[in-house]
Amino acid sequence: MLATYFDYRRHPVRLPRLDGGADAVRHRAAIVGGGPIGLSLALGLARYGVPSVVLEADDTVCTGSRAACISRRSLEIFAALGCEAPMLAKGLAWTGGRSYYRDTEVFRLSMPHDENQRFPPMINLQQCFAEQFLVDEAARYADLVDIRWQSKVTGVTPGADGARLAVETPGGTYSLDAGWVVACDGARSAVRQALGLKLEGTQYEGRYVIVDILLRSDYPTERRAWFDPPSNPGSTLLMHKQPDDIWRIDYQLRDDEDPDEAVKPENVLPRVASHLAMIGERQDWEPVWISMYKANALTLPSYRHGRVLFAGDAAHLVPIFGVRGMNSGIDDTHNLAWKLALVDRGLAPEALLDTYSDERVHATRENLRYATKSTEFMAPPSHGFALMREAVLSLAAEHAWVRPLVNPRQTSAIAFPDSALNAFAARSAAFEAGPRPGEVLPECPLERVDGMYGHVTDLLGPCFTALVFCPEGAVPADLQTALARLARGAVPFAAVAVASRRAPGATLPTAVDAGGRAARLFGAEGGAVYLVRPDGHVCARWRDGAAGEIEVALRRAVCASVPEMR
Amino acid sequence: MTDDQLDAAYTALSCALTDAGAERGELVLARLALLLMHELDDPARIMRAIETARVSASPNRQEESPCSR
Repeated sequence: MLATYFDYRRHPVRLPRLDGGADAVRHRAAIVGGGPIGLSLALGLARYGVPSVVLEADDTVCTGSRAACISRRSLEIFAALGCEAPMLAKGLAWTGGRSYYRDTEVFRLSMPHDENQRFPPMINLQQCFAEQFLVDEAARYADLVDIRWQSKVTGVTPGADGARLAVETPGGTYSLDAGWVVACDGARSAVRQALGLKLEGTQYEGRYVIVDILLRSDYPTERRAWFDPPSNPGSTLLMHKQPDDIWRIDYQLRDDEDPDEAVKPENVLPRVASHLAMIGERQDWEPVWISMYKANALTLPSYRHGRVLFAGDAAHLVPIFGVRGMNSGIDDTHNLAWKLALVDRGLAPEALLDTYSDERVHATRENLRYATKSTEFMAPPSHGFALMREAVLSLAAEHAWVRPLVNPRQTSAIAFPDSALNAFAARSAAFEAGPRPGEVLPECPLERVDGMYGHVTDLLGPCFTALVFCPEGAVPADLQTALARLARGAVPFAAVAVASRRAPGATLPTAVDAGGRAARLFGAEGGAVYLVRPDGHVCARWRDGAAGEIEVALRRAVCASVPEMR
Repeated sequence: MTDDQLDAAYTALSCALTDAGAERGELVLARLALLLMHELDDPARIMRAIETARVSASPNRQEESPCSR
């Protein structure tokens, strides 16, 4: 019997009002899968007033720690969704780690972190908690997020203006029509299978056992990796601290081990015991969860198939090393939510959704590139990779220059330098610093519009945002006119001034960048305008000429037709 | 490097490989390659040297290469 630390709330089946075996309501958006990806998307859509129904096969949140690391970018997204506070309160923040070869420390990991940051580079939090916090947040949007537990999607019939889902529940089956369907139903996506779509890429042979244990230890929260440790010769082993005295241990199986045997407690526990003895953990401990992991580097070639879209593991499987699995899926939803909302509300053409696929397939390819490097080091796929790894590890203690090869290459936000939504590249080239079109905003503290202490990313709402850097506090008249015109338009838009002080009679809400730190970070000491997408990516930026061009950039960023542009 | 110096390096490496034994010799070569890559500090010349060093696969090779993808 395994120990438990999480109080699972079981949710009953709830059938909708039926009309001839079909949900009597046609839904604007149906989300298949109520995991972290589906729930993040539902909350994202709710921010734009778009209701969705979430169909989750299980009766509660997931079992086991699963995706246990939440990245800074994901925290930024959870903050936009309004649910970062419980994650930060419960999760364990960390910034670095150590790698050992046999019994010698050979690499010290240090993730990018400085006093400008709003969030730590990473927190450890069991996935069940993250999901529960998203479920709790969704309860605040009861009129917009309809979570249906124990509701398994078993069929998908795509149509020209939507799709029909077959839903199976313990209380009976029904069909459901929706204008848009988003598959967030994980690695074994039923929607993907129903549409006959295949993931493309590489499956790795190496298998990892994942085991959570209950252990009281004061050792700090950091990522520890052991290569060929005396406790488990020939193996690679990872260890992460999680809340509630849960420790996550991952170790690689030898090629000749039978995976079914390997996950049996009698085979797992001696290895864990041996390792804990090696690192000097003397407290009693007990296992909580044991699972098996096999690295995949797979993606659908496109995440849009008419009215059916794919996000998270349903769209792509990224190797575990570098924690790009759930984190990239959450980024998918942040990219998709505003686009789907604008298209659904008739404010943008469907072509905008093709840019979701283009951008996020690009992100997956970047993630796979990094994660494949990590995987090849953590689980060498051939003799040559194993030999070179041993060479690197055996030199690393003495030779600092070789240590970057030991770096686990943790996840970071992916930029879209070639996105069709970017504009005015030549204007951007005039900057000496700051995020380029396609990149996400760098973080920096400032005094928010409401006078409270905050950060640059606090300035973004569920809309396009013009950050108007005006060192002297004054916004030129022609720019004011252009911003006012956009604010009156149908596409959600807001302008915020970033100035060294609040000027009396200022026409724009103003964030105060008293020391000019944000202005320096954005290369905007002499004044500048950044047009930022609702997901935090820059579309365009100007040192000059924003007044005449910002409307064009905004139209381009929602794929609006060119002839109407001036 | 003179002919004599090259000869001395050749002998030193031969001895290092002999001392390591057949099984561990390739680790010595891999470590040496990394150290020389660092000393050379020239990505293009390193890549050219790696290509020049390639030999055809052993008829006994059993692994499938993960490098073609």
